[in-house]
Amino acid sequence: MNTANPALFQASDLNRHNESVQRRYRLLFGLMTLLLITPVLLILGTLVAKGGGAISWEFLFSAPTDGMRTGGIFPALLGTVWLVTVALLLSVPIGIFAAIYLSEYAGDNWFTRIINLAIINLAGVPSIVHALFGLGAFVIFFKFGTSILAASLTLAVMTMPVVIVATRESLQAVPQAFREACWNMGATRWQTIRRVVLPNSLTGILTGVILEVSRTAGETAPIMFTGAVFFTPFLPQSVFDQTMALSLHLFVTATQVPGIEEHVPFGVALVLIGLVLTMNSVSIAFRMWLRGKKKW
Amino acid sequence: MNNEQTAALMQPIPRHAIASEKLNLWYGTFQALYDVDLRIREGLITSMIGPSGCGKSTFLRSVNRINERLGYVRIEGSIHVMNENIYDPQVELVQVRKQVGMVFQRPNPLPISIRDNILFSHRLHAKGGGEVAQGTPDEIVEQSLRQVLLWDQVKDRLKRKATELSLEEQQKLCIARLLPVKPKVLLMDEPCSALDPKGTEAVEELLWELRGQYTILIVTHNMAQARRASEECVFMLMGRVVEHGRTEEMFVTPVHPETADYIEGRYG
Repeated sequence: MNTANPALFQASDLNRHNESVQRRYRLLFGLMTLLLITPVLLILGTLVAKGGGAISWEFLFSAPTDGMRTGGIFPALLGTVWLVTVALLLSVPIGIFAAIYLSEYAGDNWFTRIINLAIINLAGVPSIVHALFGLGAFVIFFKFGTSILAASLTLAVMTMPVVIVATRESLQAVPQAFREACWNMGATRWQTIRRVVLPNSLTGILTGVILEVSRTAGETAPIMFTGAVFFTPFLPQSVFDQTMALSLHLFVTATQVPGIEEHVPFGVALVLIGLVLTMNSVSIAFRMWLRGKKKW
Repeated sequence: MNNEQTAALMQPIPRHAIASEKLNLWYGTFQALYDVDLRIREGLITSMIGPSGCGKSTFLRSVNRINERLGYVRIEGSIHVMNENIYDPQVELVQVRKQVGMVFQRPNPLPISIRDNILFSHRLHAKGGGEVAQGTPDEIVEQSLRQVLLWDQVKDRLKRKATELSLEEQQKLCIARLLPVKPKVLLMDEPCSALDPKGTEAVEELLWELRGQYTILIVTHNMAQARRASEECVFMLMGRVVEHGRTEEMFVTPVHPETADYIEGRYG
């Protein structure tokens, strides 16, 4: 082969310049990603370094003694598990069902548009406002008293908008052609949803739920007025009992107890994060298993 | 290919826009191309036919190296475009893509105005090496749209979004937007399969307009289109080139029985 066009595929100065610009941008994006994970690593590192020493069998599974200064955090740990579980049991089904209605059944009219607007606004309401709403509605009006039920209901109201939005988005990511194919084979709307739409949007819905687990476990304000207490010597027996909670316990040990050793609040924070990470890992593993089965 | 045919193709002093030598290509462990030796003559329209999965699109996508993005593709052998090996490490990928334009199955105009679609590549390359169309932006837009026979239809709405055009017009626009950077080769991967017969006819008409100025390599499933709209034809089967010759000869007197069977629709 003789070279008739020696410069045909040679890099020009502009090509080289563009390439160096694009390398610089890649570096920038990479650095930003690094910056993003730095605080996560720092927080985890600090917690492990300062609170790791507090973690023991006794710390996890016994009640606090000496005004929270010694002993363990078991009532708070159990209380958080109660609160998160009850809140998710309430908000996830309602949220998913409402999202299915809004995405699959409701027509696009002014009424659904107002509902959608309300949901988005609800997601932006500060948690302290939810707390006051929960106090007024569930504690006083419905006479649940300060209880796990009232606190979980408050948390549920707070998390539901996010569940709805996440669910609706993953439902709408399922190609319309799949639905049409189903309808044309004589499937009802519900059969279509049950057999095609839901299986293909489950991973996205789970992502929304996972996010809400962390948020529910970490919120302090909404439960402070509605069901969580600084200290109770009793473990909750039913949803009508008061309970301790990790997030509130962290607030108390970090700010309200004089002369407490530093490793106690750090230990509480570490347990809280560990709990959330464990719940998330389980759901992420479940999601990966589901995604592995998905073929498109 | 037998020797007589090869000899016939070689006359008179042919110039090859695309020449592959012992091209083998794997997707992971699946081998899609086996020892493909193809010489595509400059300035002609060459069609590639063959059943789905025979490697014709894969070959097409190797000519502007767009396959590499997939990551799990492995290539052996070489492809020369205008006598230069495009897989040489010295080669600038951006220049390959500039010199070898591609039109896809579904029209994919960018969601910007018709005018900006045409000028998009020109703006990228105007100040860099290589040949580009000369003139003011307005002249370039008019020239490119005239070349694809679209000017009269869209001249009054150049500022409108390109995605508002009909599919046929969109596909013509996708061809037009390649022209301002003066590519040597146009690759078309079933450019008419999303179009109705009238749109197909219009695009074929435009191919004949562009003939001679550009080397056009077009993959098609439409036998009638290959016959109507190309001067040479390549028949591929199971990753190998079975036959390559002048279209009129191949459709009248195919050399290989597989070619005859495919052309007459006995399988495919």
